[in-house]
Amino acid sequence: MLKIHFGEIDSKNYIFNPDSFFNNTYEDEWITETLSVEMIRDVDKSEVIGPRVIDSPFLGSIPTERLSGGVKTLILMSKDQDHIFNASACGDNCAKWILQIANDLDQQGQDLHIRLGYLMNFGDEEFDIEIENVGIIVHNNAKLAEVVLDNELI
Amino acid sequence: MIGKYEIEIYNNRIHYFLTIKRNITILQGNSATGKTELIRLIADREENGESSGITIKSEAPCTVLTTVDWEIRLDNLNKYIIFIDESASFIKTEQFAKRVRGSDNYFVIITRDDLPQLPYSIEEILGLKNVSSSSKYKSYKRIYNETYKLYNLEQDKKSIFDTVITEDTNAGYECFDLIYDNCISAGGKSKIYNTIRQNLKRHMLVIVDGAAFGSEISKVYRYIQVNNIDCVIYAPESFEYLILSAKIVDISLDMLENTYMYADSTRYMSWEEFYTSILVDLSRDSVFRYSKSKLPESYKSDNVVNRIISMLPYYIR
Repeated sequence: MLKIHFGEIDSKNYIFNPDSFFNNTYEDEWITETLSVEMIRDVDKSEVIGPRVIDSPFLGSIPTERLSGGVKTLILMSKDQDHIFNASACGDNCAKWILQIANDLDQQGQDLHIRLGYLMNFGDEEFDIEIENVGIIVHNNAKLAEVVLDNELI
Repeated sequence: MIGKYEIEIYNNRIHYFLTIKRNITILQGNSATGKTELIRLIADREENGESSGITIKSEAPCTVLTTVDWEIRLDNLNKYIIFIDESASFIKTEQFAKRVRGSDNYFVIITRDDLPQLPYSIEEILGLKNVSSSSKYKSYKRIYNETYKLYNLEQDKKSIFDTVITEDTNAGYECFDLIYDNCISAGGKSKIYNTIRQNLKRHMLVIVDGAAFGSEISKVYRYIQVNNIDCVIYAPESFEYLILSAKIVDISLDMLENTYMYADSTRYMSWEEFYTSILVDLSRDSVFRYSKSKLPESYKSDNVVNRIISMLPYYIR
């Protein structure tokens, strides 16, 4: 299940700056995996040429380190379950991928733990998200906003 | 620092146009819209000058403030436009807010999280959009990015409401209470959400001070949107701005239309503070001597109230 901690978090394995963390920890093989290729295509509108080269329609040929902060965070979420990543580095256009990563991990018997500091739009479909601060599971954006704001989590 | 700055930042592939006119501007929006790339270009130009191949056209120098020694650096900057990426952990701290107050610099901050310790305007929460396909740039090879307002609260048809919630407690509330039936004061910007929650069965008009409501708007707007709440938000700069616009005291039009030329960031943290200060100053020796804590009797006459009403947009009159 996707478990979100809203607001400030005090945890040794929390990564506030996933952009920098990605640059210094990613493995080449992560980039060419199908999920990463699809996320890079969807979010950054870019094509993976190889593990260290991305073709961006905006920036030309760029190294992997110049992917957007959002897509770097998504790749980290899919590959590194030892850390809690700051999903505020991701915009609304990353939400469907966060749900998919959580779903994939769920099938392997794992949860995805992230931190958020704003009300991300998780789309119109029903979902299962646990708001970790209060232990409440919600299934749509309306309830998510209500629980987060009622409890003054952000 | 005062003024409005038209800034162009570009290399051979990407070109940004920004207009910065208040001390605090927030950049947010979807991933991969070029926010971090903008920061990278400015930092690269700063580090390598002409040899970076990056051009920055701006009447005020632009710089990037990172976490490293940020306090020392900030204390030594004057009349800069300071760009800060979301990776700077200090932006939510009280120390940063203290340094923004009275600073002779403008700040452009990339963050999706709210910054409640800073009074920024709804108007200056901006996104970046690619405008390369617009006719203006079609024939060029570069990618052109412009800013756009993330929150457009204007309505296109007359609103129907039976309850009015004001952010203001004292003078502002008293005035709106004269204009509207069933007016409630929320008691401050952070209490708007709770007051909306308590009135869900009503048709609501919420009046906030747009010049300083930036840190609350994303939460309130999103809640209203996803829950289909029957609620219209009206966000003039501030209640004092409405009084000044209504010409109840003598004020030059230029001061209202080009506030950025007057609202010095070293004296005013927000335009809300500026309008209050100006109204207090201009009305001091008149029958309209203004006090924020209590609406003076002279403001309660039909003539004055009608002039304030005439400043409201048609959809909430």
